[in-house]
Amino acid sequence: MEEYPEELRTPPVSLVALFGYAELHASITKYLHSQQPPINALAFPDFSQISLLLAHDDQISRTSSFRDPLSVSDSASPIPSRCGGILKRDWLLKHRTKVPALVAAFFPSHHIFGDPTQWLQVCSDLDSLKSVIRPKNIKLVVVVVQSSPHEDISDDRLVALRKRAELDSKYVLFFNSSIVSELTLSLSRLASAFAELALSYYREEGRRIKSRIEKRSSNSLDLNVRYCFKVAVYAEFRRDWGEALKFYEDAYHSLHEMIGTSTRLPAIQRLVEIKIIAEQLHFKISTLLLHGGKLIEAVTWFHQHKTSYEKVVGSTEFIFLHWDWMSRQFLVFAELLETSSATGQSLTSSNQGTAEISLTEFEFYPAYYYQLAAHYLKDKKSALELLLSMSEIAQEIDSSSASITPSVYVGQFAQLLEKGEAITLHSITDEEYTRYTISEAKRVQDSLQIIAWLKRSYESFTNLKAQRMAALCAFEVAREYFDLADPNNAKFFFDIAANLYRQEGWVTLLWEVLGYLRECSRNLDALKDFVEFSLEMVALPVTSYENSGNLRNKNYGPGGPATISGRESIHQEVFTLVCREAELLSSTEGSGFKLATDSPLHLEIDLVSPLRPVLLASVAFHDQMIKPHALCSFTLSLLSHLPLPVEIDHLEVQFNQSTCNFVIRNSQRPLWASASNTVKSGSQVENAPLLVLVPNNWLRLTYAIKSEQSGKLECLSVLAKLGPLFTICSRAESPAAMEDLPVWKHENRVESLPTKDPVLAVFGQKATQVDEPEPQVDVSLGASGPALVGEDFAMPIVVTSKGHAVYSGELKINLVDVGGGGLFSPREAEPFSLESHHVEICGIDGAEGNNESESETGSIKKIQQSFGLVSVPYLKEGESWSCKLEIKWHRPKPVMLFVSLGYLPHGSEANTQKVHIHKSLQIEGKMPLLISNRFMLPYRRDHLLLNRIKPAPDSEDVSSLPLNEKSVLVVSAKNCSEIALKLVSMSIEFDDEQGETSCLIQQGGGCGDSPSSANLAPGEEFKKVFTVIPTTRTPKLGLGSIHLKWRREGGNITEAYVSTKHKLPEVNVEASPLVMSLDSPPYAILGEPFTYAVRICNQTQLLQEAKFGLADAQSFVLSGSHSNTVSVLPKSEHVLSYKLVPLTCGEQQLPKITLTSARYAAEFQPSAVASSVFVFPSAPQAEKAISTSK
Amino acid sequence: MANTACFIIVGRNDIPIYEAEVGSAAKREDAAQLHQFILHAALDVVQDLAWTTSAMFLKSVDRFNDLVVSVYVTAGHTRLMLLHDSRNEDGIKSFFQEVHELYIKILLNPLYLPGSRITSSHFDTKVRALARKYL
Repeated sequence: MEEYPEELRTPPVSLVALFGYAELHASITKYLHSQQPPINALAFPDFSQISLLLAHDDQISRTSSFRDPLSVSDSASPIPSRCGGILKRDWLLKHRTKVPALVAAFFPSHHIFGDPTQWLQVCSDLDSLKSVIRPKNIKLVVVVVQSSPHEDISDDRLVALRKRAELDSKYVLFFNSSIVSELTLSLSRLASAFAELALSYYREEGRRIKSRIEKRSSNSLDLNVRYCFKVAVYAEFRRDWGEALKFYEDAYHSLHEMIGTSTRLPAIQRLVEIKIIAEQLHFKISTLLLHGGKLIEAVTWFHQHKTSYEKVVGSTEFIFLHWDWMSRQFLVFAELLETSSATGQSLTSSNQGTAEISLTEFEFYPAYYYQLAAHYLKDKKSALELLLSMSEIAQEIDSSSASITPSVYVGQFAQLLEKGEAITLHSITDEEYTRYTISEAKRVQDSLQIIAWLKRSYESFTNLKAQRMAALCAFEVAREYFDLADPNNAKFFFDIAANLYRQEGWVTLLWEVLGYLRECSRNLDALKDFVEFSLEMVALPVTSYENSGNLRNKNYGPGGPATISGRESIHQEVFTLVCREAELLSSTEGSGFKLATDSPLHLEIDLVSPLRPVLLASVAFHDQMIKPHALCSFTLSLLSHLPLPVEIDHLEVQFNQSTCNFVIRNSQRPLWASASNTVKSGSQVENAPLLVLVPNNWLRLTYAIKSEQSGKLECLSVLAKLGPLFTICSRAESPAAMEDLPVWKHENRVESLPTKDPVLAVFGQKATQVDEPEPQVDVSLGASGPALVGEDFAMPIVVTSKGHAVYSGELKINLVDVGGGGLFSPREAEPFSLESHHVEICGIDGAEGNNESESETGSIKKIQQSFGLVSVPYLKEGESWSCKLEIKWHRPKPVMLFVSLGYLPHGSEANTQKVHIHKSLQIEGKMPLLISNRFMLPYRRDHLLLNRIKPAPDSEDVSSLPLNEKSVLVVSAKNCSEIALKLVSMSIEFDDEQGETSCLIQQGGGCGDSPSSANLAPGEEFKKVFTVIPTTRTPKLGLGSIHLKWRREGGNITEAYVSTKHKLPEVNVEASPLVMSLDSPPYAILGEPFTYAVRICNQTQLLQEAKFGLADAQSFVLSGSHSNTVSVLPKSEHVLSYKLVPLTCGEQQLPKITLTSARYAAEFQPSAVASSVFVFPSAPQAEKAISTSK
Repeated sequence: MANTACFIIVGRNDIPIYEAEVGSAAKREDAAQLHQFILHAALDVVQDLAWTTSAMFLKSVDRFNDLVVSVYVTAGHTRLMLLHDSRNEDGIKSFFQEVHELYIKILLNPLYLPGSRITSSHFDTKVRALARKYL
């Protein structure tokens, strides 16, 4: 598009000429440029330069008149015509830069309204202007410049001025330049008048030429095209895009009709002229459509343009001219699409266009047109090369055609001749023209243009995310670089295409690209790349068959057709090159590579390498777990998709444990000097009778290795040696995790398994686990029953050697809380200790063993309360060592004891592995004794305790004791364990001094000062009675703790006692306002009366009223009040006395008495035990003894 | 009769399973090398266009110079692609339908692995005969 002149690339702008008053021209011109649309201005300082405008016209006329004899003399057409071409080259430029639409004459006001001499000068200038512009129909504007707004204006002179200039009154303007506001207003008025007159001029000119079209359309197509073009340009001047587009299209159609009908020029030049003008017209049409936002119409028009002219080839000998023209059409349209904003709009549908033409999606993007522009330029290059090769005369064309230049008319060429000062243009023949075009074509570097346009297309498609289109462009760029003998750049773009075709599995396309890449590597002297690309090619599946008949029609790349024979020939070429022997060095010199006998070639194949089909290594261990020092079998399977069998010299199998590496040597191959260097000393060497890789068949090899080191044993890679200098290293794969080869995945072939065993083929792994050495030392944990909370539980640990000597032995002891608490219900006993850990290791005693080993025992390293580390002394074979682990429970819960012994079976060898033995034991901690207590109030003495009637809101379930009364405390201890315990002592001790002063606790009488110990069988309960007399009134009285001393029954007599403490609950001590006590003899005698008294004691300061009621009893005869209300005075006692006579013998219930306190609404009822009495039939014997002593 | 035509069948995993150069001799030998490259590049358009229309026959999905790419998408998303310079759209559509029936017969073979390359010579002969008949 840059080749086009500027007047063709940009829309035309109106042109005005300014005469006189030069000081105003700058501001007026600047203001006109800022208008929309802008207006161009030609500035003439004074009226004496009117001849310059005329001179331009005369010069043009002179040129035309000079042309006439030439055209007449050369014209041989039967149809007489006045014109020598279709479009004049400078017509558009003339109307944009030389021929104005209107002329503005500036006169100062004093010249018009002043003295007659100046008025005559004004008239003379106007007459000169009119004589020049009238034949061209150019408009005229007269501007009167005023210096001040108050100048006198003569109406007579103004009328005379209008008559002289033959103008309407609105085209005589007044320009005031003294005041800024007036200046702006004047400028605006001036611009408005200029635009209106210019519009009128261009409209009249268009209408004038349109009348010519209507009258003379049947005479000449040349003139018709010219007139349509002019009308379109005038419409563009007026910004009438619709009419401009219409007439451009009319010109295009008329021009197309001239093909084959015009005989004015020789054949080749005639067609060239038509095509060049068609190109310009189409450019105008496309520009107008795209600027109007009509993308679909523009693409459709381009399609019609291409369709109209792609068959108009012209001379087949010079067909490169046609391809050059076609390429330029696509290039210009691509650049228009890029610069236009219409491409930004979204496409509603990708299948637009008319019913006849169906447009594809990519035809709306510049990349498509760049690609095809490059394609047509490639055709031009081929045609030109063909022409140069066929014609010997064309090769001699050099600078003899330099004098040929474009002619006056568009699309025509002429020869410049100088005769004196005059320059004449002579027509040329077709032969001269073709010489000129060939010399021009030879100067242009077409390949660089092709590459540039294809790169733009590649980048554009890449941005559109059309990767396949981008790969196609990359392939074409690479081929062009390849033809230019630039292998570096070619290889870069071939790699781009190969990556996509390899990724998508398009084998046919990949074969072509790899063929080119092979040649690039050959030209770059890159041996490794050459071998890699060649091997990748031959390992591809076959996509072409030689028996099909379409091979002879195709033109293949350097790789040739992708047939079996093609692959085999490349295979032989590569392996002859890399696997050559010393004797064949001379015969392979012709391959083009610089052979160096001491430079090895090494290829690496991993899981994502494209060379994976060349050598695929699968390793499967037969067992997942093996013992150390034991033979372990595995199967090595190799697969190759190369078309011919490949013989391997030797294989090196590499493991992560390098001591397991070994070499498989082909016994039929000679032993190279360098091969022995790769075999390490001490490595295992195996001999195989045959190491040949047959195409598409697994080569299965089964071997056994021995590993002395525990841990993971993994096969890493397999190294294949082919000849003295060529090695292929393939990464080992597991059959279970082996992926399919992408390019071979969809081939219709028989699937074979890497191993004969189907289970190994599905689950085989290339790694196995080597166990640790078998331990021959026994660790035993001797538990002796459940542990009891509070004692030091002894756990013997015995280490016994049963085959291994123990060197550097180390015991790790760990206590772990048992998880899953649901299995063990939590104990309700309260903790005795405030330790953060409920179970801890107290220590370890190494008491047993001989004296020598005992002295070597190290001290325990107590890291935590639940972890310990003990050194084990050296043990010979058969010896044993033991220690005692002391564990203390603070809370009843089960724990897991983990003991781990690590030792070296051989102390002298440094690389010997450590052997570990693990033992675990669950030990449950239990409470030995369950302690409970309860209170008993005094016998037959009821106290009114207010806390029992209305408990306080904050009080819990707290026992209440009366103040200064003797209560009985019964403490029980029950053996909850499964073994017999010996209870040594039980006592109550106060926690602080306050308890001693506020409470008096004594042991029960009758036990003596030294209580004896008690033996408790499992489940047996021991009870002890204490008396408690609270002396201080307090809601919470602490009674201290119960201290027990106990030990296991039958244990060592020297064993210390275990002390267990149990805290007694707090009690509430309060004074009782009323006390009711029953007074009766301990027994009764049948028939004898006795006194039954009820004492009511008031211990308050208030009068207490009590209502009592006595029920009758059948066993007694009663005398006394049955019910009454008594008043008890403060601090006094009231006695109710009854006489009772027993009537029956045995245990009898006394009459029940009920006492109700009116103040406290409390009722006293003696219990059944308190209301019972035993009736003897006669006086007992003891009674007589007592009576006798009295 | 089309002067130049290249026909391929692309499986649902975008891998060609059948390739054939049908038609008479190629006009320009240089362009013949690009036939499969052009068809591969046209997949950029087909992969979007196939999901926007319910028609199986996608005519003129791509254009390269005077060669047009027509595509026939089956229900299993196998694409029959033809690069041609013929304007006989009815013939092309009939050709696609006939080849589709042949392809269905190939799929009915229990020994044929769907998605693998079609290597049947009988299929190849039939396709070329249909090309001579319709294109």
